[in-house]
Amino acid sequence: MHYLFEPGFFSSSPVRVAFAIGAVSAIVSAIVGVFTVMRGQSFAGHALSDVATTGGSGAFFFNLSPLVGFLGAGVLGAGAMEAVGVQRLRGRDVATGIVLGFATGLAALFLYLDTTKSATTGVSQQILFGSIFTLDPSTIPLVVVMSVITLGVLAVIFRPLLLSSISPDLAAARGISVRVIGLLFMLALAVAVGLSSIAVGSLLSTALLIGPAATALRLTRNLRSALIVAGALGVAATWVGIILAYDSFYWFTSSQGLPVSFFIVALIFLGYLLSGLPAVRRRTSSPTAAAPTHSLERVAG
Amino acid sequence: MTTNRSLIAARTVLAVALLVIGVAISTVLIRPASAGGRAHVIVAIGAENEYANVLSQIGGKYVSVSAILKNPNTDPHTFEASASVAEEVSKAQLIVQNGVGYDSFMNNIEAASPNSKRKIITVQDVLGLPTDAPNPHLWYKPTTMPAVAKVMAKDLDKLAPSHAAYFDANLKTFDASLKPWLTAIATFKAKYPHTPVAVTEPVVDYLLQAMGANVLTPFVFQADIMNGVDPAPEDITLEDNLFTKHKVKLFCYNQQVVDALTTSIRHAAESSHIPVVGVYETMPTPGYDYQTWMLAEVKAIESAVTTAKSTQKI
Repeated sequence: MHYLFEPGFFSSSPVRVAFAIGAVSAIVSAIVGVFTVMRGQSFAGHALSDVATTGGSGAFFFNLSPLVGFLGAGVLGAGAMEAVGVQRLRGRDVATGIVLGFATGLAALFLYLDTTKSATTGVSQQILFGSIFTLDPSTIPLVVVMSVITLGVLAVIFRPLLLSSISPDLAAARGISVRVIGLLFMLALAVAVGLSSIAVGSLLSTALLIGPAATALRLTRNLRSALIVAGALGVAATWVGIILAYDSFYWFTSSQGLPVSFFIVALIFLGYLLSGLPAVRRRTSSPTAAAPTHSLERVAG
Repeated sequence: MTTNRSLIAARTVLAVALLVIGVAISTVLIRPASAGGRAHVIVAIGAENEYANVLSQIGGKYVSVSAILKNPNTDPHTFEASASVAEEVSKAQLIVQNGVGYDSFMNNIEAASPNSKRKIITVQDVLGLPTDAPNPHLWYKPTTMPAVAKVMAKDLDKLAPSHAAYFDANLKTFDASLKPWLTAIATFKAKYPHTPVAVTEPVVDYLLQAMGANVLTPFVFQADIMNGVDPAPEDITLEDNLFTKHKVKLFCYNQQVVDALTTSIRHAAESSHIPVVGVYETMPTPGYDYQTWMLAEVKAIESAVTTAKSTQKI
């Protein structure tokens, strides 16, 4: 009765678009995510997703693609946050909370204007929770170009980024411009948030960014395998989520599919839970408890 | 210290007193201006402009009607009522609203400003439909407006008994003016029975059913688009195939419930040379009244079938 791939799966064009955009965004998010977790900038990632919400909802108002809004607002937000100094930003929790609250309030204003000025059905759903099956195939080129640029930049600054992530003082002592590296990384983070927002919505984008990366850092002992495992987990969660969402159409007599963003985020959560099981941890972690940083220093050195 | 405190207290009392006096004066000044001069006219509201339009046809010069949902360029399913809408509704003596969850904001506003003299016509109740009726676009059903107009005339008779004859005459005129539309529906049904049609959203489904057409788009998909949630990819593919495999004669496109997906579906229809008919939730104004709007939709559907002509906007 039920199959893993229900009829029409491979010939379905919404599925093919979702597979392509889902995989690319998952890989970029996972790789940027590994550095984000290492640098302790998960909060910056979350803050950027709030800013992306404003951009995405504003894009509709100005008749632009939501991806353009996500990326534009994210890059501006990242620049502003780096100018203020993300480290200091984390300390100033009250001011940050108020600014992010205002960004979300602006998003509420834009969503209201979107729906009262023109016919923009489902705009809240698409911005906040994603709508990967309804993406226009014409967004694929922009997604791919932004991803290639981001991964290219990360590859070029790989070593200085790694060193300044582990020990900013040591990096500065070796003549690395920690500030420039930090800015470049924030821009990469903004792109990753924008891409995962288009896949699973801005509210859920943090899950795609942090989830596979955190799971991979639990399971692996050096950076290269962490990057590979994170990318693989991100793509797996996205693709299996898409397959489950497609199949869910046949689970109920009402022929009502369940939302794909739910499946993707649920799988990421499940993976993170499983990676924390004692049996898994005992097998993978080394005698030294602070395994990841320890081995990462070896890579950097 | 004590004098300072009492000074502050005195100033606060003075400020509050001035504020109260100011509000009182402005209330006195504003009230007569808005209510006066029109005392003999019944203040009425149509939650949707098509009901407001019919109500003003029946009430004529003795009714001042305003509409809440009146912008044919926005999606009424995502409407948010503002404070001024609440103010308008609280003053109305006669209200016509759709029901079936389409304008549930009206119920909230009415509950917030109770008025035992206010008459409320809920079209859903006039037709005897349940609140969970799947398709809320009742004004596209040919039997709806004659029944609603009758109730409107009856309530107006009660609100202004001295003008009862006038309202009843207007009701007869209205009923007669629906003839061209009803005839066009019957003619289409006889000439082109079971015409296969694709839609994005259920807005014209009642009309298409009356015209004997077959809507091939799954209702679950239509409801997803209407409610602004993600449709299943299976349904998107099915909808695309209706065009690429030329299974439908025309495509009714809701111009008010629009998103990236409906736009791409419309492009699919256009590239397969399926004629597109733009349809509306809200009566397009100016230029149309209820009867001419409905007739224009039927004519647009008819010319799509007879001459494969697209009418993107009526």
